[in-house]
Amino acid sequence: MAKAFKYGLKGITGFLEPAERELLRSLFDDVVSMLQPEESSSQDPLAALIGLDMDVREPSDRALRRLLPNVMKDDGAASLEFRQLTERSLRETKIGALRAAALDLDKDELVLAAADAKHWSMALNDVRLVLAERLDIQDEADADHVHQMQDWSQAEDVESYLALVYNFTTWLQESLVQAMLQSMEPRP
Amino acid sequence: MTLSVALGPDTQESTQTGTAVSTDALTAPDIPWNLVIWNDPVNLMSYVSYVFQSYFGYSETKANKLMMEVHKKGRSIVAHGSKEQVEQHAVAMHGYGLWATVEKAAGGNSGGGKNGGPGKGKGKRG
Repeated sequence: MAKAFKYGLKGITGFLEPAERELLRSLFDDVVSMLQPEESSSQDPLAALIGLDMDVREPSDRALRRLLPNVMKDDGAASLEFRQLTERSLRETKIGALRAAALDLDKDELVLAAADAKHWSMALNDVRLVLAERLDIQDEADADHVHQMQDWSQAEDVESYLALVYNFTTWLQESLVQAMLQSMEPRP
Repeated sequence: MTLSVALGPDTQESTQTGTAVSTDALTAPDIPWNLVIWNDPVNLMSYVSYVFQSYFGYSETKANKLMMEVHKKGRSIVAHGSKEQVEQHAVAMHGYGLWATVEKAAGGNSGGGKNGGPGKGKGKRG
């Protein structure tokens, strides 16, 4: 079993079993492939270089829309304009965090410096946002319902498996964030 | 408390415009914009508080207060400033996975940022 992240003299440390590492690696990779921008042939290379993407549209996939939300609640046109200027670099920020976290999985021991821990918390959060859309978690009641699924021997279908994976990543992120908050407190 | 580079819209501009300048005198670029964070059932309360502390440099107390407001009221104004400033914050929040939008502050006499609590005493919209 994985051990909760802890803050100590070495920084933030954690322990994951090989199977848990493989699971996280595939989750990080899945979200990276969702976020990779489609290369369109009409893309102006100079525009791409500075992060502009005039072909960009609001994502049709719900999970992707949650990762890359509109910047204004009730103004689709202004949100789209903003998206053209910023979405590509936002995707790159997220992909960067997910890849950095995946790289840390190669090491035997998880020892995270502040920057690594930040990447991990962002990566786990994005994974959870995607899983939550797949599980159709719309409100606190849905979240509670999913949370009750804790026993791996009960995993009989895709949904119950996803719920267990969601609960594992939730537990892992919570322990990481607690360790990060501790590391921010001034030492006596 | 570490101040991040992106901090400071409410201490720099709004405190002045809020006290002395009347609504009529505000030209379009002066109208403050709000950064709004919305509740969702996925993001951990601890994580939201961590983001407010580490990105905005807010104290633990202030970060937790804003986080609870998001959780209980469904949304909270966590920063304000020029349109460009709050848009920059919004992209950063999206990077963290928080659900953030920007909106024009309601009316001109919103009282500016009273240092402590953006959103405090703001006209309710909707």
